[in-house]
Amino acid sequence: MKMKKIIRNRYFTIAVIFLMAIVSISMIFILRDNNRGEKKDTPVTLAVVHSDSGSNPEQQEHLTGTMGTLPPVPVYGKWRNFTIKDGLPSDKTYCVRIDGERVLVGTHDGLAVYQNGKWSTYTTKDGLAHNGIVSIDVSELTGDVWIGTLGGLSRWSAGKFETFNQFNSGMPNDLVYCVICDGKDVWVATGGGAGHYDTFTKEWEIFTEKNAPMHEPWTYGVSAGDGKIFIAAWGGGVIEYNTRTKQFRDYTDPDGFMEIDLQPDDGVVHDITTATSWADGILWVSTYFGMSRYDGKYWKGYFDHDSGLASNFINFLRAEGPVVFVCSDRGLSSTNGESWVTYKKNDNNENGVAIITNGKEKREIPLSPSIAHNYIIGVDEENGILWVATSKGVSRGELMK
Amino acid sequence: MRKILLITGTVFVLGLIISIPGKKLARDHVNIKTAVTDHPLLCTNCHLHIHKRSPFAGLDKVNYRSPLNLVVSNDGKLIYVAAQDGNALIVANVEEGKVIHEIEVGNKPHTVILDKSGKKAYISNQWSDNVYVIDLREYRITDTLLTGNGPAGMSLSSDEKFLYVVNSYSSDLTIIDLETGIETKRLTMGNNPTGAALSPDGSDLYVTSRRANIAHYGEPLVSELTVVNDKTKRIKAYMGMESAYLMENVAFTPSGDMAVVTLVRPKNMVPSIQVERGFMMTHGIGIVERKENGRIIQLLTDEPNAYYSDPFDIAITPDGKRAFVSNSGVDCITVIDVDSVRSLIAGSTPEMLKLWPDHLGISSSYVIRRIPTGANPKGLALSPDGRTLFVAERLEDRISVISTDKMETIKTIDLGGPRRITVTRHGRRLLNNAGHTFQNQYSCYTCHPDEHEDGLVYNMASKDMGRNITNTQSLRDISDTPPFKWNGKNQTVFKQDGIRFSTVLTRTEPFSYPELDAISSYIMTGIKYPPNLRFNPSGKLTEAQERGKNIFERTKDNLGNIIPENNRCIFCHPAPYYTNLKQVDVKTLSASDDSILFDTPHLNNIYASAPYLHDGRAISLEEIWTLYGKEDKHGLVGDMTKNQLNDLIEYLKSLRSPDYNDKSSEIHEASIYH
Amino acid sequence: MVLSGICLISCGKKSMEGMIIITVADDKISSTDSITGKSWRYVPGSHLYAIDPGKPGNIPESLTENYFSACSPEISFDGKYMLFAAQKNQGDSWQIWEMNLASRKLSPVTSDTENSFDPAYLPGGRLVFSRTIANDSLKSGHTLFTCNTDGTNLQRITFNPHSYSGSSVLKDGRILTIGRQVFPKESSPEMMVLRPDGTKSELFYKSNDEVELLSRSWETSDGKIIFIESDKNNGIRKRLVSISYNRPLHSIVDLSSGIAGDFCSAFPVDPGRLLVTYRTTENENYSLFNFDPVSRELGDQIYKSPDKSILEAVVVREHERQKKLPSEVDAGVKTGLLFCQNIAITGSSSPDNIYSLSAGDKIEIIGVDSSLGVVNVEKDGSFYLKITADMPFKLKIIDAAGKTLFGPGSWIWLRPNERRGCTGCHEDHETVPANRVALAVKNQPVTVPVHRSRIKEKQVELE
Repeated sequence: MKMKKIIRNRYFTIAVIFLMAIVSISMIFILRDNNRGEKKDTPVTLAVVHSDSGSNPEQQEHLTGTMGTLPPVPVYGKWRNFTIKDGLPSDKTYCVRIDGERVLVGTHDGLAVYQNGKWSTYTTKDGLAHNGIVSIDVSELTGDVWIGTLGGLSRWSAGKFETFNQFNSGMPNDLVYCVICDGKDVWVATGGGAGHYDTFTKEWEIFTEKNAPMHEPWTYGVSAGDGKIFIAAWGGGVIEYNTRTKQFRDYTDPDGFMEIDLQPDDGVVHDITTATSWADGILWVSTYFGMSRYDGKYWKGYFDHDSGLASNFINFLRAEGPVVFVCSDRGLSSTNGESWVTYKKNDNNENGVAIITNGKEKREIPLSPSIAHNYIIGVDEENGILWVATSKGVSRGELMK
Repeated sequence: MRKILLITGTVFVLGLIISIPGKKLARDHVNIKTAVTDHPLLCTNCHLHIHKRSPFAGLDKVNYRSPLNLVVSNDGKLIYVAAQDGNALIVANVEEGKVIHEIEVGNKPHTVILDKSGKKAYISNQWSDNVYVIDLREYRITDTLLTGNGPAGMSLSSDEKFLYVVNSYSSDLTIIDLETGIETKRLTMGNNPTGAALSPDGSDLYVTSRRANIAHYGEPLVSELTVVNDKTKRIKAYMGMESAYLMENVAFTPSGDMAVVTLVRPKNMVPSIQVERGFMMTHGIGIVERKENGRIIQLLTDEPNAYYSDPFDIAITPDGKRAFVSNSGVDCITVIDVDSVRSLIAGSTPEMLKLWPDHLGISSSYVIRRIPTGANPKGLALSPDGRTLFVAERLEDRISVISTDKMETIKTIDLGGPRRITVTRHGRRLLNNAGHTFQNQYSCYTCHPDEHEDGLVYNMASKDMGRNITNTQSLRDISDTPPFKWNGKNQTVFKQDGIRFSTVLTRTEPFSYPELDAISSYIMTGIKYPPNLRFNPSGKLTEAQERGKNIFERTKDNLGNIIPENNRCIFCHPAPYYTNLKQVDVKTLSASDDSILFDTPHLNNIYASAPYLHDGRAISLEEIWTLYGKEDKHGLVGDMTKNQLNDLIEYLKSLRSPDYNDKSSEIHEASIYH
Repeated sequence: MVLSGICLISCGKKSMEGMIIITVADDKISSTDSITGKSWRYVPGSHLYAIDPGKPGNIPESLTENYFSACSPEISFDGKYMLFAAQKNQGDSWQIWEMNLASRKLSPVTSDTENSFDPAYLPGGRLVFSRTIANDSLKSGHTLFTCNTDGTNLQRITFNPHSYSGSSVLKDGRILTIGRQVFPKESSPEMMVLRPDGTKSELFYKSNDEVELLSRSWETSDGKIIFIESDKNNGIRKRLVSISYNRPLHSIVDLSSGIAGDFCSAFPVDPGRLLVTYRTTENENYSLFNFDPVSRELGDQIYKSPDKSILEAVVVREHERQKKLPSEVDAGVKTGLLFCQNIAITGSSSPDNIYSLSAGDKIEIIGVDSSLGVVNVEKDGSFYLKITADMPFKLKIIDAAGKTLFGPGSWIWLRPNERRGCTGCHEDHETVPANRVALAVKNQPVTVPVHRSRIKEKQVELE
C-alpha cells in the first residue's frame, strides 16, 4: 500500500530516469567501498563445522555465524510452524511477543496465546479493540499487555481488556502500528502521529508534524533506549525524543533520494522508515529500501546486494543484545552488523535453508522444515527460542546446539 | 402629653403602614424561594444558614471531628481514629473512655493503619494526596509519602517493606517502597476504589471499588474487586461484582477462605415507579470463595419491609463466627452468623445462588441482630481478642464500644466535638440517613456518595416508564448554580427536595420545614469540592491547559472565521462556575427524551463526573465531541485537530472550585499546604 | 367570662389519659359472620365503657349509653379523641362517630344509609373505615373509604370484589386490613396492606392453612403485628399470634401456645405488655387480662363483667403518629400504568418456580364480567399496560394457543395515575426486580381494555 503511494507520486517516473544515471555511477563507488572493506576485515573463520550440504544441522554444535571479535549470530533450527490447523485464529500473523511462559501472537482475526502447548484466542467479543492486531508489548513494571490494533489500543490486564481509541481518549489515531512500554510510559506509533500515555497520570501527549520534526503524522514504529524514544516516521526518517529534556531531533537521509542510497553510510538509508530498535547502544532502523545501523556516531547502511540481508523491503526489526532480527518480504535475517544468518523457505515445499553470510562467503544449511513463509512481519527472541510471525502462520525455532 | 400621644400614634401608624406590605413582600419572597405558600417566615432560615455570602453566613459554624475510620492497638487499650473533619489522628484510651492525644494531619484523613509492632501509624490524607507516617511513641510525624489522587484505604505488604495506598479519585493503587519512600508502581484499579485488605496468608491484596465500570445505560452493571499479588506486586484478577456497586470495604475470614465485601444493588435500570418490593435499592454483602473455581456470591442483609442502607465497613471476629457490618444509612450494626452463611451457600445450587441476591427474605437465615448506634456509623475495628467492636459514629463525633458477646453497646467515647448540632450538621445527618425514604430503602448518600454522584444513569419514569433517563448529578458546591435538575426545573433546593421529591422519589412523609431548611443549608453551604490536585494543584496551568484555555475562549475558528457567540465554549460556560445558569439546546436529546432544554451544567472538577451529558451517553470528555458533538451545536469543534481537542480537554480537567483560588481560604490552606 | 365558660365546658369531665376503653357485648358472642361482619365487626347491643386500671373497684363509665350499639374504639394520636362505630337506634345503619374524650362531646363523622364501621385514624386529620355499597357493580363486600374527621372529602380506595374490615394503620403510613375475595367465590381471608390513597395494594400476611383472621391487627412498638386467628389444628380455638413487620409472611409465632381457651382481641400497651380479651372455655364470657408476649403468659385479670363479654380494649394515651404518605393519585387521569419485569418468575423463590418462557406466551387481562383483552409478552418476559383506573382485573399467562399456563392471580386495581410494578406473576413477595432494562418499557404501554380507542389522557410529569 505504501509502495503504491510512492508510485502514485507524479514525479516518480522523472526521478527514476534521473536516478538511473546516477545509480550506474554510484555503483562503482559502492563496489569499491565494499572491496576496501574486505581488505580491512580479518579473514573469515566460521565456527560452523564444514559439512556436506546434506548434513543434518541438528548434529552441529554451537552453530553460529560469526566474524572477528563480535558476538556470534546464533542459528535457529528445529523449526515448528503453527497455522489454523494447530489452533491459530488466522494464518495471517502480524506480530509476536514472548511473555514468560506464554507467547502472544497478533493475527488478522484476534489475539492468539500459546501456553502449555495450547492455543487460545481472544477477539472483540472478549473486549479487544479490534481483531487486526499488529503490535504487542508487555510492561515489565505491571505485567500488563498492550496491544496495538487496526482499531485502537487495548490494555490486557489480568484477563480484562480496556480500550483506548481516538474517540474515547486522547490517543492520536486508531491505526496503531506499534506499541511499546518504557517504564510507566506507553508509546504508540499511529496513522495520526506518535502518542505517549503516562500510566500514572493517565494523560496522553500527541506528537505530529505540528509539534515534532515530522513531515506528516504517519508513524510506523517506535522503540525506547538510552533515555530516548525513537520514532519511525513515514517520510521523516527517525525522530528521536529525549524523555529527560523533552527535546526532539530527527535523522533523515542526507542525500534525500527516494529510490537509492546515493551516499553510503551518510545517515539513515531512507526517509520512509518502518521500524526502529535499540539495544546494546546500537539503534537499528528498517526501511523499505534497506536497513541502517547507528552507534551514536556513525551510520551504516545494509542492502540485499551487499550483505546477507534477505531483502531491502523490511517490515519490522527487533534487536536483542548484539543481534538484530530483520523481517522482510523474502525471509528472516539476523545480523550483528557484519555476519548474517538468513532464513528462507522453499517455494514448493516446507523445507528451506539458513544462509550464513560473512562478507563474500556464504554457507547454506538445509532446514526441514523451515519457517512457515518468507513474508515476515514480526519476530521475538527469548532464552534461545525464536518466534516468527509470517503471512502463513507463526514459526518457532530453537537455538542450535 | 399630647406630644407623646402624637409620636406614639405616628410610630404605630407608620409601623402598620410598613409591616403590612412588608410582611406581604416577605411572604411573596419566601413563596418564590420555597415553591410553597406556607413555609414559616423566618429570615434566619436563609440568611443565616443558606446564603453563602450573607453577612450572617457562618455565624453558627463549629468544627466537628467526624471520625471515619479507626484502628485498635495491639494490646487493645488504645484506639487511633482518623477524624475526617478534624484533620487529626485522635488517640483515645479505651478503659478511661477518653481522648488522650491528638495529632494534626493532612486534609480529610481517610484511613489509619498500624505496622505489626504497633509503633508506627500510616494515615492517608484524602484531600492532600499523601500519607503521613507517625511515630506512635512520640506522636510525631516522621515522613510524608506522596501518593496518587485521593488516597483512601491502605495496607502494608506481607513483609512490611511496601505500602499499598488506594487512590480513590484516580482509581489506581500506589505501591510505595518504604525504604526509599518512593512510589515504585501504580496499578489500575476498579472505578473509585477505597477499601483494601491483605489476605491472612499475605498472598493477595483485595481492593474494592465503589463506582461501577462506566458503561452505557442498559449495559450490565459491574463493579470490580481487584486482586493484587503481594509477591509480584502485579494484578492477579479483576473480579466483577455484577449488578452491584458501592463496595466500600472488604474483610477476610481468619482462615482466609472467604473475602467479604459490603455492597449496594441499585435498580437504576428499573423504572422508579415505587419503592415497595425493593424497586429502588437493596443492600448486602458479596462473598468471594478463595479456592479454585471459587464462586462470587451476593446476599442481601435487607428484609422484605425493612432496608439497611449504605453498608460501609465490615469486621469479622478472630474466631470467624460473626461478621459485623456498619449500616451508615440507618444507624445500626448488622450482625451476621458466618457459619449460617457457609451452610446456606454450601447447600445452594447455582440456580439458587442466582435468586438469593434479589431475595429479601433469605437474610433471616444469617442475620442474627441489629445493634443501634449513633448517627452515621462508618469505620469498624475489633479488639485483638475479638470481644469488643469499636464503631466510628461519624456524625455523632464519638466512638461506640460494643460487646461482641452481648451484641450491645457498653460505652461510648466522646471525641471532643461540639455537642451543639447546627442546622447545617442536622442537614448533613439527614442527607446521610435513610429515615426519610419509605422503609429506609436509601439515603441521599446512596446515589450521592460523599455528596457527589454515583455515576449511574437512572430511569426516573417521567411520564411513561421508558422516558427521560438521567445521569446522577453532583451535590458539590452547587449553591451558586441554580436552577437545579438536568432540565433546570427547580429554581431552589427547597423545591428540589420538597413535596414532589417525596411523592416521586422517597415516597414517604416529606421533610418537615425545619428538616427541609436543614438539608438545604447543608447542600447550599456545607458541601465542598475536593481540591483538584490531580490536574490543577496550584492554579498554574500547564502548557497544554493554557492552549486549551485559548481554545475554550476562542472567538475564531482555525480558518479565522468568527464563531457565533452562542457557539463558543465561554459563552455558556463562563467562570467561576463555568455556567451561565441558562437553559439551552445542544442537540443531544434522544428519542426517548421529552422535548426540553438542558440546564447548562457547571464544570468545576468535571474530570470527576464521568459519564457525561444528561443521560451519561459520553463515557469520557472526549466522546462529548468525538461521538456526540458532530453537529457543532455543543460548541464549534469540527475544525479542531486532535491535538487541539486534547488541549481543550486538558483545560476542562483543570477547572476547580473558586474556593481554591482564594489563597486565604481555609479549604485552600488545608489542601495545598499539608 | 367567655374563657371561663370554655374552661367549664372542657373541664367538665376528667381527662381519660391512661384509662382503658372496652367494647362490651350482651351475653356470649353468637356465631360471627366475617363476610357481613355481623356479630363480629359490628355487634348488636354492644357498648363502650371506660375503666380506670388504677382503680379496680370502680364502676366502668358508660360512654355510649345513648346508642343502641357501639364498638371498634380507636384513639387519636394525641389521646384526646376517639372514633367508634355505632348504631344510634335499633335498625339504624352503623355510622362512624368521634368523641372528644375530655368533654365526651360526640360528633358524627359519617351519615349514610349503608353500614360504616372499623374506623382508624390516618395522619393529616383523616380516617379510614369500611362501608358496604348497595348494588355495587364491582360486586365487593365491605369497601374501604377515607374521609376527613368531619366526614368531608370522602374517597373510595378499594376497587375489587373483596370485603375489607378490621383496618389499622402501620407506622409506615399504610393501611393494614383484612381482605377476603367474595366474587366469583369466597376465599379465605388475607391481611392486605395499601397506601391511604388506595395505591400499591399488596398481600401482607396470609397463613398457608385455611385459617380465619378474627381480630383487628395492631403494630407494637418493637416491630410486631399482633392479632387473633383460628388455630389450624383446632378450628374452634382462637389463638393469639404475632408476626414480624419486617418479614410478615414467614414469622408467625403462636403467643398463646400452651394456653387453653380462646382469645378475642389483643392491644399492645408496651413491648412487654398486651391487653387481651380471653375466655377459658366456650361457655364463658371474654374478660380483660394482661398478657406478657415475652414469657407468653397470661397475666392478671383487669376486668370481668358478670354477664357480658369484653370484645376489644384500647388504652387512652398519646401515641406516635404514623407517617403521612404523599399521594401520586391524580383524579384528572383516567388510567394507571402496570409494569411487570418477567412473567416467568412465579410463586416462591425457587428455581422450580421459574418456568421457561416460550415465544408467543401472552397474558390475558380478565375483568369482572368479561375479558379485557390479550396482550403479547416481550421476549424477556416483560409487559407494560395502561389500564382504566379503579377497575378490578386479574391476569393470567396463556400460550400462543390460548391455553392457560399460570393464573389467574388475585383481583387487583390501579388508581388514577398510579404506577405499579411487579417482579413476576404472583411471584414470591420477597423477591425484588433484577436490574435490567425491560423491553416492554422501550415502547408505549398497551391500553387495556384493548378494544378501547386511544385515550386522550392528561399528561402528568412526576420527575
